[in-house]
Amino acid sequence: MYEMAQKTLALAMKNGADEAEVYYANSRSTSANIRKNMVEGAKEQFSEGIGIRAIIDGAVGFASTNIPNRLEDAVKIAVDSARVRESDPDWTGLPSNAKYPDVTGTFDKKIVQMELDECIELALQMIEGARSSEILATSGSFSRSYSKHLILNSNGVEVEEEGTSTSGFIDVITTKGDTATAYDFAVSRNHDIDFNQIGVNAAKLAQGSQNGISIEPHKTDVILHPFAFSDIIESAFAPSIDADNMQKGRSSLIGRIGEEIAASELTIIDDGLMPGGIETGISDDEGVPSQQTSVIENGVFKSYLYDSYTAGKEGVKSTGNAARQSYVSTPSVGLRNFIIEYPQSDVISETDSGVFVNTVIGAHTANAISGDFSVEARNAYTIEDGQVDKPIKSLMISGNIFEMLANITGAGTDVRKVGGTVTPSIRVSNMSVIG
Amino acid sequence: MHNVDFFDSRIIEGTATSIILDNGKIEEISVNYSRGVGVRALCGGSWGFTSADGELDLQKAIKASSELAQGMDSKTPQDKVELSPVSTLVLNDIPAIKVDPKNIPIEEKVQLLKDIGDHAKIDGVSSTTAVYSESSMKVQYSNSEGVNCEYELMRTGFAISAVAAQNGAYQAGRESRFGVCGYELFDKHDAFALAKSAGKTAVELLGAKQAKGGNMPVILDPELAGVFAHEAVGHASEADLVLEGSSVLENKIGEQIASPLVSVIDDPTLHEYGYYPFDAEGVQSTKTTIIKDGMMESYLHSRETAARLGGTPGHSRAQGNSMPIVRMSNTYIDNGDSKFEEILEDIGDGMYLIGSRGGQVNTGEGVFQFNAEKGYLIENGELTTLLRDVSLSGNTLEILKDVNMVGNDLTMHSGRCGKNGQLAPVTDGSPHISITKALVGGA
Repeated sequence: MYEMAQKTLALAMKNGADEAEVYYANSRSTSANIRKNMVEGAKEQFSEGIGIRAIIDGAVGFASTNIPNRLEDAVKIAVDSARVRESDPDWTGLPSNAKYPDVTGTFDKKIVQMELDECIELALQMIEGARSSEILATSGSFSRSYSKHLILNSNGVEVEEEGTSTSGFIDVITTKGDTATAYDFAVSRNHDIDFNQIGVNAAKLAQGSQNGISIEPHKTDVILHPFAFSDIIESAFAPSIDADNMQKGRSSLIGRIGEEIAASELTIIDDGLMPGGIETGISDDEGVPSQQTSVIENGVFKSYLYDSYTAGKEGVKSTGNAARQSYVSTPSVGLRNFIIEYPQSDVISETDSGVFVNTVIGAHTANAISGDFSVEARNAYTIEDGQVDKPIKSLMISGNIFEMLANITGAGTDVRKVGGTVTPSIRVSNMSVIG
Repeated sequence: MHNVDFFDSRIIEGTATSIILDNGKIEEISVNYSRGVGVRALCGGSWGFTSADGELDLQKAIKASSELAQGMDSKTPQDKVELSPVSTLVLNDIPAIKVDPKNIPIEEKVQLLKDIGDHAKIDGVSSTTAVYSESSMKVQYSNSEGVNCEYELMRTGFAISAVAAQNGAYQAGRESRFGVCGYELFDKHDAFALAKSAGKTAVELLGAKQAKGGNMPVILDPELAGVFAHEAVGHASEADLVLEGSSVLENKIGEQIASPLVSVIDDPTLHEYGYYPFDAEGVQSTKTTIIKDGMMESYLHSRETAARLGGTPGHSRAQGNSMPIVRMSNTYIDNGDSKFEEILEDIGDGMYLIGSRGGQVNTGEGVFQFNAEKGYLIENGELTTLLRDVSLSGNTLEILKDVNMVGNDLTMHSGRCGKNGQLAPVTDGSPHISITKALVGGA
């Protein structure tokens, strides 16, 4: 594979590129799917392909393929596309070779060695956790995957990295009395998920949500479970700290480094090095060494997130946030592990009156620039005198992410890895709820 | 030969090109050549599925998939799955390409995109992005029952978005058109006028007021009503969701679930973005009436769900070489006979919700939430104040019953629909509709 990538790189240079990069990725995943309390099917997916970036006078052309005999065509069209574009004075160059950090907890041999029977077994454990005479596991899946990528560029970058992950997801519905649904999921780089517990959690949540009450529109303390908080923060806040959006005038945080934009005890760190993190790796997806970046420190806005292009444009260093969805896409700025820190306490018992929200739907419809959002809260409960009280039938919460960050007044002790976002439950005061 | 009850394979080969323009500058030109295979095997009641990229050995993939199915069947045996029979496929009426995009030099496409971007940049617009995409795809299907068929399809489209900024406030306007056609898409749609309209929306929204939330009568424009038809009704009528117990439309066939004014149809034979000549199981595509005059008439089916629930297959789709699942194609609320002016007059006071910034639905509980692009207050049958960041949420079955008037101005909108991590090209459509009472969310 290394030789094929080297040859591809050399071919791009020979075709006239000033600089070139080859990104090769290979993955294998197995999943067992759940439907109506049964494991109904197994999937095995093999994926392998290569993406080529060619640069001429700062203009980038890109092509990708998974067909070996189209590789030369792909190289040629990447170089040709770069020629079509006008030169980009903001381009400073592909990353250069660097010293890479060590990371831990990203590869688990047990996941690679898993047989189909064990995959089915783990899916069954989720069903067992959930099913009862009152709960049906409607759908879900167990999956494990192994992936490897290789990044080579004409400035000497040679990064090869492999990793593993497993995940479990289950959707449940009540079968007696009032209809209520819920889901739970977990993702890990290692074989350490309690799959039974995922089922148990989802079932408990659905049953607890039956016979919901209506509430009047008002402003109150809202505690957002890690699922709900991460969903809102990724949709409504993350776009504002993307340097590309900032440079193009599409961020509410333009020119606000050093300003207090959040509650003074809130700290947010983007961390490519977190042991066992979903987004952990020795480098980002264009070969820049991973690092930790303070985004918010004690309420003060400290940094945008950069890939090498946006960093070069501004004459700063990349924060190692180049991300690719797959070999068919060019890198752009993306979050690594996004860690939310706030002093933790038994936050529900410290809340006289309010609302607890487990999950939200519609977060992706947030206004990515203004940070305004309006979402439907699911599996929400009232809080009375420091205790979760009654389920709420239907509830919308709306607000603005920056007002929300400023109004954070508490955090639970229940830190969850929700994909790359790592957060406890967060309490926000004075939020609008419409029942 | 593989000791399974059934297997089938789809080989997908294609070339996709996209150009992204950002503030008048080309941000990306990207070309992808891909080939992949997806193989399903059924053993008893268990499905095995294998997908692989690139140069592939079909027999090896069938073997791998068969082994998964057998492994599942021996570890967790289940009730045998029957597949509904299929009739002989007739391939006709495949959309003809009038202008093959492959024959248009890339320089010309880049220039067109720049011109589209320029038209969106009206006074007050601070930034624009525009995307052009074309893809040609060849699909070859075969199965263990002896079906062998293939088709080639070209898809072309563009999207433009404009952002206007003022005193730290930002608003966006968007337009897009995608179709199963070639470069003639730009003859059918006036891309420059659409770009201008996206710019105008962004600028206007800067001066829009925050909506006051609450329950009120509403009119949905064709785009938002189309999103409702797709998200709230269409998804809940997907038979795989019905079978797993995740649909409020379960056991509703033959029941009056909506106002008699409402008919909802899914039609993959229309030459719109969701078109296909046969589905991912080699089944001829046909028009399905989901709701007829308010009565629940049919779910959308794959061969498995059609055999289990009774119905007609032909709605199985897959993204590339992924596992086929039950999907929509071109979904719409059919025309009624009211003019927009009549609907407006009838409603008196309420809110007019326009366009969509997406939404989500819980098909099991039958609740949904959509964000409109903008809205207007309706006072005494007149559109008055422009509103921003308005959303609509509610209960699907209640809203269907509360449809009060249906317009005669059906319009389709192209987009992509996500389900189980797979994206499928679709269109949604509707005429204007009014609803007697709906929960509108605002600030």
